[in-house]
Amino acid sequence: MENIKFFGKVFGYVLRGGCFIHIFQTHFYEFTETRGESMLPTLNSTYDFVYSSKYYRNGRGLEKGDCIVSLKPTDPDQRVCKRITGMPGDLILIDPSLQKAFNDDTELEEDDNFNKYIRVPKGHCWVTGDNLAHSLDSRSYNSLPLGLIKGKIIAANDFNKPFYENGIFYGFRKIKNNYIDEPE
Amino acid sequence: MIISQLNQLRNQFNPTRLKSTLKYTSKWSFLILSWIPVLMVFNEHVIYIGKIEGSSMRPTFNPSSTSFQDWVLLWKFGIKDHHNGLKHNDIVLFKSPENPNKILCKRIKALQGDIVVTRHPYPRETCVIPRNHLWVEGDNIHSIDSNNFGPISKGLVVGKATKIIWPWNRIGDIPNGGREVRLNKIKQI
Repeated sequence: MENIKFFGKVFGYVLRGGCFIHIFQTHFYEFTETRGESMLPTLNSTYDFVYSSKYYRNGRGLEKGDCIVSLKPTDPDQRVCKRITGMPGDLILIDPSLQKAFNDDTELEEDDNFNKYIRVPKGHCWVTGDNLAHSLDSRSYNSLPLGLIKGKIIAANDFNKPFYENGIFYGFRKIKNNYIDEPE
Repeated sequence: MIISQLNQLRNQFNPTRLKSTLKYTSKWSFLILSWIPVLMVFNEHVIYIGKIEGSSMRPTFNPSSTSFQDWVLLWKFGIKDHHNGLKHNDIVLFKSPENPNKILCKRIKALQGDIVVTRHPYPRETCVIPRNHLWVEGDNIHSIDSNNFGPISKGLVVGKATKIIWPWNRIGDIPNGGREVRLNKIKQI
């Protein structure tokens, strides 16, 4: 009897603690590992841990140039980390790099991929990885519904770096909005 | 007189008594507060209730505009399973692709890989459903559904409506409704 009571108590504490952590991670703040080459200059492919703020879930208050965590539309079990490059209403050149190999300038004009535009629909955004050559993003699965966005990445730790170097712990850096509005 | 009042006061602010009261309140408030996250997780991932607004699912939900609005039981556990998660003719609640803060309620009409015969606002006559996407339509012909915004991702689904729980005269299973949209099924008929 004593044993059952003790196990019940332990189970209750574990359950409450686990649920508290889960709610905290989905609604407030999360610290997790990211993998993959798609964000390469910004985030490493391995041993990079990111801080994501969940205030920005469902696309609340996001801007062009922000790094986001979202579910992959074609596979909702996976989470992806991308950068927003288009907001609703923007006109976007889909992907000029999808061209056939061309030799002279005449073929460049005929090439359709330099002339394919899309307008981002209401409630969606256009996301691309920073490493365009190795990234599965809006160019292949179309614009991303804002409802799939889980949070915004605000900082990252690099665990490849030593514990303490030049006053920085584990390669800590803030991830900023790198969008520059060019004058027309 | 004054002495007796003073004694009463001292009795009220007796340190040992105050301590026991504090202990009691803190213990109970901790007990109640600590179970709130458990309840939230349970509602987010297992079961919840939802209210159906509007006329897009008429006559299945809200059959007349004068009666009460319907409340349904939402099942959320295991709906992300690939094989026996979401099926054809299930009613789902999902975040609207046009406005993530709005929840819509529609019926699944086709799953990934199906070819769909679309209706008026959709720009093409047929549509192939991409991987892990759903074609959703309201039972009423006047509804904003996949014909307006295209197939939706499974990640937007919030839950599956399984039972009507209010009003009391329609408690129970949800009837079938809507049209057949899948091209190969239409051909068979």
